[in-house]
Amino acid sequence: MVKDILAKFHEVAASPRAQMDKYMAEGKKVVLTAPVYTPEELIHSMGFVPMGAWGADMELNRAKEYCPAFLCSIVQSILELGIKGAYKGASAIVIPSLCDTLKTLGENWKYAVDDIKFIPMTYPQNRKPDYGIAFTKAGYERVIRDLEELGGKYDAAALVESNSIYNKHNASMRKLDEVLAAHAEITASQRSDIFKSAFFMTKEEHTELVDQLIEELEKTEGTAAKLPVVVSGILTDAPQLNAVFEEFGMHIVADDVAAQSRQYRTDVPECDDPLDALAVKFANMDNCSVLYNVKKPRVQWIVDTAKARGAKGVVVVMTKFCDPEEFDYVMIKKACEAADLPLALVEVDRQMVQFEQIRTNLETFRDMLMM
Amino acid sequence: MAEEVKKAEEVKKPRKPLDPNSAKYKLGKIASDAFANTIEAKKQGKPVAWVSSNFPVEIPETLGIWTAYPENQAAGIAARGAGERMCNVAEADGYSNDICAYARISLAYAKLKECPEQDVAMPDVLLCCNNICNCMIKWYENLSQELNIPMIMLDIPFNPDYEVSDAQVAYVTGQFWDAVHQLEDLFGLKWDDKKFEEVTGFSCRASRAWLEATAQAKYTPSPFNGFDLLNHMAVMVTARGKEEAGEAMETLLKEYKENHEKGESTFRAEEKYRVMFEGIACWPYLRATSRGLKDRGINMVTTIYADAFGFDYNSFDEMIRAYCSVPNAINLEKSRDKRVKLCKDNNVEGLLVHTNRSCKLWSGFMAEMSRQIGEECGIPVTSFDGDQADPRNFSEAQYDTRVQGLMEIMEGNKADRAGKEA
Repeated sequence: MVKDILAKFHEVAASPRAQMDKYMAEGKKVVLTAPVYTPEELIHSMGFVPMGAWGADMELNRAKEYCPAFLCSIVQSILELGIKGAYKGASAIVIPSLCDTLKTLGENWKYAVDDIKFIPMTYPQNRKPDYGIAFTKAGYERVIRDLEELGGKYDAAALVESNSIYNKHNASMRKLDEVLAAHAEITASQRSDIFKSAFFMTKEEHTELVDQLIEELEKTEGTAAKLPVVVSGILTDAPQLNAVFEEFGMHIVADDVAAQSRQYRTDVPECDDPLDALAVKFANMDNCSVLYNVKKPRVQWIVDTAKARGAKGVVVVMTKFCDPEEFDYVMIKKACEAADLPLALVEVDRQMVQFEQIRTNLETFRDMLMM
Repeated sequence: MAEEVKKAEEVKKPRKPLDPNSAKYKLGKIASDAFANTIEAKKQGKPVAWVSSNFPVEIPETLGIWTAYPENQAAGIAARGAGERMCNVAEADGYSNDICAYARISLAYAKLKECPEQDVAMPDVLLCCNNICNCMIKWYENLSQELNIPMIMLDIPFNPDYEVSDAQVAYVTGQFWDAVHQLEDLFGLKWDDKKFEEVTGFSCRASRAWLEATAQAKYTPSPFNGFDLLNHMAVMVTARGKEEAGEAMETLLKEYKENHEKGESTFRAEEKYRVMFEGIACWPYLRATSRGLKDRGINMVTTIYADAFGFDYNSFDEMIRAYCSVPNAINLEKSRDKRVKLCKDNNVEGLLVHTNRSCKLWSGFMAEMSRQIGEECGIPVTSFDGDQADPRNFSEAQYDTRVQGLMEIMEGNKADRAGKEA
């Protein structure tokens, strides 16, 4: 049963286009959601299927007509896929401008991909005071106006329902993260599939499948991890990267990955108005390189989580050219050193085909941890 | 050997002292005094802030907080040849060499607390505004951690729309007063509306004179070498809220007008071609990039900096909107239209784009925007790879080849026009 569920996650994670075609064949409209945080609840409530657009491992070609080589390959590959028609049929793409490269993605998208509407989502960095919450709400209202032009309809009652569906999914993903920590027989690749598939399924479907998996796993005694590690970064879905984790017996007991657990840490709170509630959710979010916080609580979060989960080390998976993560890395490194927590840094890129350097790096790290 | 050196010294012309009434002297003094005065103020126990270049200077100026501008400092350090040395210090601490070189230099300075190429007073507070980039947020977060001092964040998000929305004005206004109150509490200061009015007056005066001075490039030949703007801009960054900045900028304007009347220019060559330069200067190679143009008779007559520091406003709301409309905070269409206007107003014949390794935001949609500018203005566009402060990211040979190519197309265009007119 576990095997079947994992196979389903893999199938979805490996074939986003098939998922998109399936939803469109059902008469549903698809809206792409770019990294790092989009108001999926809102898009869902207006009758669209939100589908994550985090690019793909591929050679970049057409994107180079727009982007200099030193922009992150996640963003460049999203543009490449857009230009090449991989997202054909999508009604729109919502791009938040939480980092400099994402700001440029929206501007380039307008001219590079003419059949998929660009909807900007402008978030405040001073998101916690009332004026920040009001600005987030104004950003959501802008998204609503754009989605209404595409045939969507805003309804507060529908948003209440969607907020609840998303909170339920968040809870399941958090629970799953805990359960997986105790089940080293679930590989890094399988863990990646579970998280990645969440971007390509409706949350109702994904929650159901995740809950089934949790139920099945809880029936068994998990295999103990040989080398428990915490992984941090933006994206860790490269099959070759996960194969290296597996080869060296590294078991991910927690993640601080933007495309994984960072998505599910914060719920929509109870408020009289569901749109206010969604804005408050953003205000409450933290522990992320693209969300301003001068105290950088994310750094201590990594150390504390690693200790709480019994991790022997931290692996920072750096997406090449990701400024926000590159700045945070120095602080993470210092905090890990102070906590006597071994740390490894590996650099990934969507265009990468040779993973030997990562393999050598993590092999050495494994040897250090085993000493 | 000693004799050769002596001979060389003899031939070397003594540098003519600058006229203290000249704009160059006044502007240079304001820029250098900005660092020295803040160092002195720090010694006297006055509060010092490190400030990002497009933070509303009206706040520290009104409150009487002394300021230093890390971007300005990093540019100075890079121009004096120490960019790589300082970058190496930051990289040794784990900062990737993909990070903005200004940030790396500044973080290295925060660690070393000295750099003979450009020292600054160490700060008591950080005033960060991200209307130029979000990289600034991360840079200042780390400074705050490393120096254990407070950071005040004034968030001006990138605006994907052409006009500034009322929601954005309300958001930034809320933060403006929050920043003021935080600084009052931190240093026991008191906001004074009259002083604020005076400061805004100075800022607008300097901005108006700057805009008008840079607009003198409308004349052919231009009364100035555009590389002058890269130096004078320092005053607009560091001192636009001070009375002397307005006075010096007005002197600059007067000199440019006089130059035009007398048929003179600070461009010391025959002006054969006029280009717009796009991007931050390559400070480590200022001479090489300038010479590559001048030797070919190419004058860089304008740059977006001509527009970038035009903070002229008539009300508080207009001031907020001006800070929301600085070059890196606006969408492609608005960015393009500002540049098209500069190209057309100043009879630009070619666009030279610096693809700046340090600046992802500035370079990220430059390819598409410069295509559109080229089409709308009917001018050739060429780009070169470089960096604002890390000398390892620039190749003089590539620059030279690209400039040569641009010149040949401009030459061809001139010949075509002459043929048609004949």
